Amino acid sequence: MADNFADVCLVGVGAVGGILAKELASAGLKVVGFERGPAPRHADYAPRDSIRFIARTDRLDWVRHEPTTTRSRASATAEIRYRTSPLNVLGGALLHWTGQVSRYMPGDFKVYTNEIVNGGAERAGADLTGYDVVDWPIGYDDLEPYYEKFEWEFGVSGRAGVNPFAGPRKRGYPLPPLRRSARMELFAEACGKLGYHAYDSPAGILSEAYKPPAPYDARIPERPACVYCGHCNFYGCHVHAKAATLYTAIPVAVSTGNFDLRTNCKVFRIDTDERGDATGVSYFDPDGAAREQRARVVIVGAFVFETVRLLLLSKTARFPGGLANSSGLVGKYILAHGDVRAYGLFDDFIVNGFIGPGSAAMRVDDFNGDNFDHTGLGFIRGGTIGTSGEGTPVSRMDVVPPDVPRWGRAYKEYYAKYYTRTFDLNIQPETLAHEDNVVDLDPQGKDRWGVPLPRVTFDFHQNEQRLHRFMTQIADKIMRATGASKVWTGEKERPNRWAGGARMGSDPRRSVVNGWCQSHDVSNLFIVGAPVFPTLAGYPPTATIGALSYRTAEYILRQKEWFK
Amino acid sequence: MSTPVLNDTQLRILEAVAERIFPATATPGAVAIGAVEYILRALAGDYPEMVGVYERGLGEIDRHALKRYGRNFLSLAETDMDCVLADFENARVDFADAADFFETVRCHVLEGVFGEPEYGGNRGLAGWRIVDFPGQQHGYPDAYINRRVDLPPVAVASKKEAK
Repeated sequence: MADNFADVCLVGVGAVGGILAKELASAGLKVVGFERGPAPRHADYAPRDSIRFIARTDRLDWVRHEPTTTRSRASATAEIRYRTSPLNVLGGALLHWTGQVSRYMPGDFKVYTNEIVNGGAERAGADLTGYDVVDWPIGYDDLEPYYEKFEWEFGVSGRAGVNPFAGPRKRGYPLPPLRRSARMELFAEACGKLGYHAYDSPAGILSEAYKPPAPYDARIPERPACVYCGHCNFYGCHVHAKAATLYTAIPVAVSTGNFDLRTNCKVFRIDTDERGDATGVSYFDPDGAAREQRARVVIVGAFVFETVRLLLLSKTARFPGGLANSSGLVGKYILAHGDVRAYGLFDDFIVNGFIGPGSAAMRVDDFNGDNFDHTGLGFIRGGTIGTSGEGTPVSRMDVVPPDVPRWGRAYKEYYAKYYTRTFDLNIQPETLAHEDNVVDLDPQGKDRWGVPLPRVTFDFHQNEQRLHRFMTQIADKIMRATGASKVWTGEKERPNRWAGGARMGSDPRRSVVNGWCQSHDVSNLFIVGAPVFPTLAGYPPTATIGALSYRTAEYILRQKEWFK
Repeated sequence: MSTPVLNDTQLRILEAVAERIFPATATPGAVAIGAVEYILRALAGDYPEMVGVYERGLGEIDRHALKRYGRNFLSLAETDMDCVLADFENARVDFADAADFFETVRCHVLEGVFGEPEYGGNRGLAGWRIVDFPGQQHGYPDAYINRRVDLPPVAVASKKEAK
C-alpha cells in the first residue's frame, strides 16, 4: 500500500473502527487504521485473573498510559483517574464488555417531541433547568436494518417478541437465549408476581457455536458457545464466545489486503487544508516519532474523551475553537449512566453468582423510557432493570449489607456464608444532557507524549437524582419479591457508559455531526460511536454504536465520487 | 526476596493488622493464607510507589496506639488493636490520610486472601475454600441452581493460558 495516501483514515480500531475497517476495506477502499494501544495476544486478555483485571486495572498496558483528569464541578480541581472504559487496545472495549445488546426503543430517539412538545415534562412536574433535551435526527426505523446486521454478524443470543416495549424487528435473534441462572429464575418469578414483563436480555455472547449465515458476512470465523466461566465483565473471553471485533471484524478487514493496521500509533491531530477539508492525520509512531498520513476521508472511532480531545487539539486559524466546532458544542453535553443497585442475600437459596456470564440476565423495561405514567413524579424518563452480580470473591468483597462490618471476624463470617448467596439488580437509568457536564483539555496534566489530558467535569443533576431514587425503590420492591432474606440498595460513585461530546443533530448551530455521523463543518470528517449520542437512553449504548457504524459505512460507500 | 521492602517492625505491624482484618477462626486467617506475602510482592513489583505509603501508615498506627493506650500497637490486646484500626477507618486520627490508608490495607489484605495464588496469597486456595468459590474453572456445564458447586477449586497460572 502506498505510504502517503489512503482513501480512509480511521482513528481508533475498536468496535466502531473494526466494523468500518471491515465494511470499507471489503468494498475495495484503501483504509489505514490507527490504534494507540497494542494488539493483545490471547495471554494478554484471556486469563481468568481477577487481580490483573479487577484489582490492578491501573497497571494494564492499555489503561496506564491514558488517564483522564476528573472533577464533579467546574470549581473543583480535577484529579488524575485511570479508567477502563476507554480501553486503549486493538478491539477496544468490546474486548472486556459485559455483552448486553439492547436496541434503543423508538421513543428513545424522540425525547424532545415526547417530553417538551407533547407535554411529558410538564405532566411529570420535572425541573429541566440546565438540561438540553433534544430529538435524534434519525429514528428507530433508520437504524433497524443495522441493528439486525450487528446482531447477526456478531451473534446475539435472545428471544424476540417477549419484551412488549421493544421496537418492531424484521428478524429474530440468530441464537436462543443463554442458559438461565439462579438469579434469572428468582427475578423472573418475582416479576411474575408483580405483573412486570421480564424477558431474557439479549446478549452478545454465543449460546451455541455460531458463524454468520448468508446474507451476512460469512467470512467471519465460527466461534464456540459460552462455557459460563463467569469471567466476563472486565476480562477478555478465553473461548471467544463474547462478541469482539478483535477476533471477528478486524481479521476479516486485514484479510482483504486493503486494511493497513497500525497499532501503538497515537493520532494527535486531524489535519485540514485552507479550504477546511480534512487531509489526513498526524500521529506518533511506536517509536514516538511524529508522522503524517494523508487520506480522502477521516473517521474518528475513538472513545468520548479522546474524540473531544482530538477535535480540540486540531484547531487551526480557520477553526480556532477546535475542529468541527462552529457550534461550540464539541465536548459539551457529556452523558453517562449512574450505577444504581439493589442487593439481596438469601438464607435458604444458593445463587452461585460466580457462574457466568453477567449478560445472561433477565430484565424489565416497565420503568424504562416513557413506558410508565410519570404524572407528578418530578422527573422524566426511566431505565431498564435487570439481574447482575457475577464476580469472583475479589470483585464481590465489598458487597456487604450496611449493618455488617467490612473487616474482622463478623465480616469473615458473613462472607464465608453469603458469597454464594447474593445477587444484585442493576439499573441503567437514562441521563439527560446537562450544560455542566463537559470534557475539555486539562490545563496542566499531560500524557507520556506531552499531549494535554482530557479533563472530565461530570455530575448527576436534579432529574437523575430523582430518577435514581425512584428506580431504586422499584428495584428494592422486585428484590423483596424474590424472597431475599435481606435487601439493601446503593449507588456506586462512578458513572459509566460514557457518551456525548460531539452530538448529532440536523441544526448545525446545535450539533456537531448530522444524522450520517458527518461533521457539519468538515464534510469529509466523520465521528462515529458514543460521542454522537444526543441522549443516553436507559440501555447500554453498544448495539446503537454498532448500528451507527454499519450505517455510516454504507453512507460513505455511496459517495463514489469521493474515491474516484 | 532480595531487599526487604519493609523493616522488621513494620512487617510485624502489617501482619497484626492483616490478621485483625481477616482473622483466623475455625479457618485460617490472613497471615496463614498469605495476604502479607501478597502485599510484599505487590510493593516489590507492581506498586513500588506505595512502599512509602505503607511505611508512613504503619508508623502512624503505632503512633496512634501509643497516644491512645500508651503502648506499642504490637503489645495491644486484639480488641484494642481493633479500636485503633476503627479510629483509622473512621478518620478519628491525627493523620490526614488515615482512612485512605486503612482502606488501602483492607483492600490489599482481602485481595491477598481471595486473589489468584500466583500473586502470593490465597495459599492452598484457602481463601476460595472459605467462601465456597471453585476458582478459575474452564466453565460450568450446569447452572447449579440452589445447589452447592461440588467441584474442587482450581487455579490456573496466567502464563499457562497462552495459546
